Amino acid sequence: MKRIWPVVALLVAGCGVQPSGVDDGGEAPTGVAPGVTLYFVDARGELQPQLRETGRLGTVSEALNLLLLGPGGSNLRTEIAPVSTPRVVVTTAPDVIRLLVPLAADEVTPRGIGQIVCTTLGVHVQSGGARDMKVQIRFTQTTPESDVERTCPLIR
Amino acid sequence: MSREIRRFVAFVSQASAVTGHPGRVVSILDGVAAILLIEDDPLVRRGLELALSRHGHEVRTADTGEEGLRGFRSSTPDLVVLDLMLPGVDGFEVCRRIRAQGEVPVIMLTARGDDFDVVGGLAAGADDYVVKPVRPTVLDARIRAVLRRSTSVADGVRVLGDLRIDTAALTVEVRGAPVALTPSELRLLLTLSGAPGRVFSRQQLLQEVWEHDYLGDSRLVDNCVQRLRAKIEASPGTPAHVQTVRGFGYRFGPV
Amino acid sequence: MSPRGLRPRLLVAFVLVTVLGAAAVAWSGAGSASTALVTSAQQRLTETVAAQIAAVAPELASPPDQSALERLRAAVGRNTLVVYQDLRSADGSVSALVTDALRSAVRDQKRLMAQRITAEGTPWLLLGTPVMTTALDGARTPSGIEVYAARDLTAVEQEIDDMTGSAILTAALALPLAVVLALLAARSVLRPVRDLRDTARRLAAGDLDARSQPQGADELADLTVTINEMARSVQTSMAAMRRMQADARRFAADVSHELRTPLSTLTAVVEVLAMTADGMEPDARESAELAITETRRLVRLVEDLMEVSRFDAGTAQSRMEEVDVTRAVHDCLRARDWLGVAGLVAPGAVSARLDRRRLDVIVANLVGNALRHGAPPVRVDVSASGEQVRVAVTDNGPGLPEHVLPHVFDRFYKADAARSRTPGSGLGLAIALENARLHGGTLTAENIDGGGARFVLLLPRDAEVR
Repeated sequence: MKRIWPVVALLVAGCGVQPSGVDDGGEAPTGVAPGVTLYFVDARGELQPQLRETGRLGTVSEALNLLLLGPGGSNLRTEIAPVSTPRVVVTTAPDVIRLLVPLAADEVTPRGIGQIVCTTLGVHVQSGGARDMKVQIRFTQTTPESDVERTCPLIR
Repeated sequence: MSREIRRFVAFVSQASAVTGHPGRVVSILDGVAAILLIEDDPLVRRGLELALSRHGHEVRTADTGEEGLRGFRSSTPDLVVLDLMLPGVDGFEVCRRIRAQGEVPVIMLTARGDDFDVVGGLAAGADDYVVKPVRPTVLDARIRAVLRRSTSVADGVRVLGDLRIDTAALTVEVRGAPVALTPSELRLLLTLSGAPGRVFSRQQLLQEVWEHDYLGDSRLVDNCVQRLRAKIEASPGTPAHVQTVRGFGYRFGPV
Repeated sequence: MSPRGLRPRLLVAFVLVTVLGAAAVAWSGAGSASTALVTSAQQRLTETVAAQIAAVAPELASPPDQSALERLRAAVGRNTLVVYQDLRSADGSVSALVTDALRSAVRDQKRLMAQRITAEGTPWLLLGTPVMTTALDGARTPSGIEVYAARDLTAVEQEIDDMTGSAILTAALALPLAVVLALLAARSVLRPVRDLRDTARRLAAGDLDARSQPQGADELADLTVTINEMARSVQTSMAAMRRMQADARRFAADVSHELRTPLSTLTAVVEVLAMTADGMEPDARESAELAITETRRLVRLVEDLMEVSRFDAGTAQSRMEEVDVTRAVHDCLRARDWLGVAGLVAPGAVSARLDRRRLDVIVANLVGNALRHGAPPVRVDVSASGEQVRVAVTDNGPGLPEHVLPHVFDRFYKADAARSRTPGSGLGLAIALENARLHGGTLTAENIDGGGARFVLLLPRDAEVR
């Protein structure tokens, strides 16, 4: 009969939260950056990243607002028509980021669209997001272009 | 006493037996008696015959019950020595028939410890018993003791209630009528009535009447008392003369 | 501590097995459930903290200043520590809880690390992570900001305790059920065992007809069948033995009986021989005397044999009457002319109810034995105490050898081969013992101090025939 008590003790001890060693808890969070990277077009007509030292990464929306304001004083140019109210609405779904831009489809060249997509994905990736995220751009007029899910050739 | 004299005496006693007064002759001649030995085994019969003859008795023999009864009627012995285990008419029946014809004493030959034999034999009226194999000296002593019971003790007449006992003539009358008693019954009555009121133990009676040693069988006494009561008591169930003293023995009354 | 009976042992074993089984199931169930609970809680908390940091990280100034650290700490919640180089922002007791192991793991692994600890009875989940900077090509580098958070797991522990409690309760509820089942099982096992025990007892007590009814086809049924077979075999042997014993006894009785007739003749004629011996030649006279002596011995032997046969056959009868034991013993000695060699010591009359002939046989055999094997003077003590009469026969000889004592009442036992031609029949003491038993009394033999054997007869004063 005496033999039963160690068993009972063992049973009782097996309950509750046990201390543990140091376990891996997954990827560390990310998102700290000295600035935001915008994409413009160079003289050869190719997309080029430009680091804007804002002191922080910020959001996709903030980055797109800066993009719409143009390259500023540099040898790069933008292929997005200037807008009076550079406000972009960003909606993030699990595998696609939807952008509502204040532009018509014909106000942006394919390279301009690339600028928007790459800038969006850059912020997304730097915030810890997945690199295979798709981007969908909705223009002010109804057009099939709005339904295309796009990727950035520079960020794969 | 020489052998010749004994033979003569035996002859006389046999002759006197015919006259009907054998007991008187026996008493005079100190126990030499005419004996009828009924025993089926020829060698035992012959052995006992030789030995008893040596002791001075006149012995006749019979090998069956029927033969024994015939011999009894023709010779009228003083005493019968009877083997109980007989072919044909057995010893008990022989004893009963002898008893029916008179008061001739009977000594049984039994097997030791065979209480059935003893009880049956005593009930049939036997006076005594011996156990086989019996030493002739012992048997002779018993024979003489039985015969002595027929001798008178003193001259006189005792009148006790409705009893009248003539101790010389050895006759007993109950309410004026004569009663025939066997020698054992007679001696028992004489012994008890000799000291009215005195309590006799069975062992005392066995030694006085049967002349047994200290190991006598008290059933002899009880049986004899029973038969005596049947003959002299007005109502044997509630005896007036031979009274039982429980745990001790018997005494004679009325005191 | 270990119980003796089969029933308690079965009961304990059954209950133990049941409780252990229930406990094992409950324990493993509770264990895996609690592990799952802890894991899911840990995962949830880890994801929450990671998400909280990730949500605010892009808004943080880089390099961060104190206010950035404060902001991050506020976003993560209570019990949080945020450090960047020399700067730190802390809330609650987290600084004291964070272990060195966690810190070094965070720095080495550059991943979110978790550790459970217990501090002062409270379980904590410690989380530590560097906040990373991700380049556009996906390369991650530590930003230098580290966040440590402590999360209280008391609620989780409470949940686990509740679950364990209910598991124990369930096991406890199984206990009475186990007891009932154990009792039923024990009964079904023990009933045939009890039957067997009763049967064995009856067999041991001599009831050879006792049998058990085998039930079922288990080991106990096999045992029952075996015991029944054993009983049957014993019964057969016993019956055969009894038959042989009875045959032997009947044979002895028949032989003695048959011997009696020739002995009657012999007894009669040797006396005639004795009466005429005086006139014989010396050698003829001696022959006659020998014939007489041996005939008497033969008679005595046959009588003793028949007496023994009657005891064996159970037909020995006794006639009880009031006897003065002192007088009876005296008569016994006197009748055998022993008063000169045997002294009687008695307080006076000692009355008892017994068979005088059998008492005489006992005393005669004891004194005769003492005179033959011991040495005179022989002393016979008669005394009475309460319900018993005591007759002790003591001789003055060397006493009985130790190896003889246990056999002294055996039939035909000869202590000494050289003395095999003693005048006794060899049955005297056996008959004396049987006679004592017939009275419900005892007869024992012993040696007294200073030599000499003593036989002690104890008889009830009011013996009932056995």
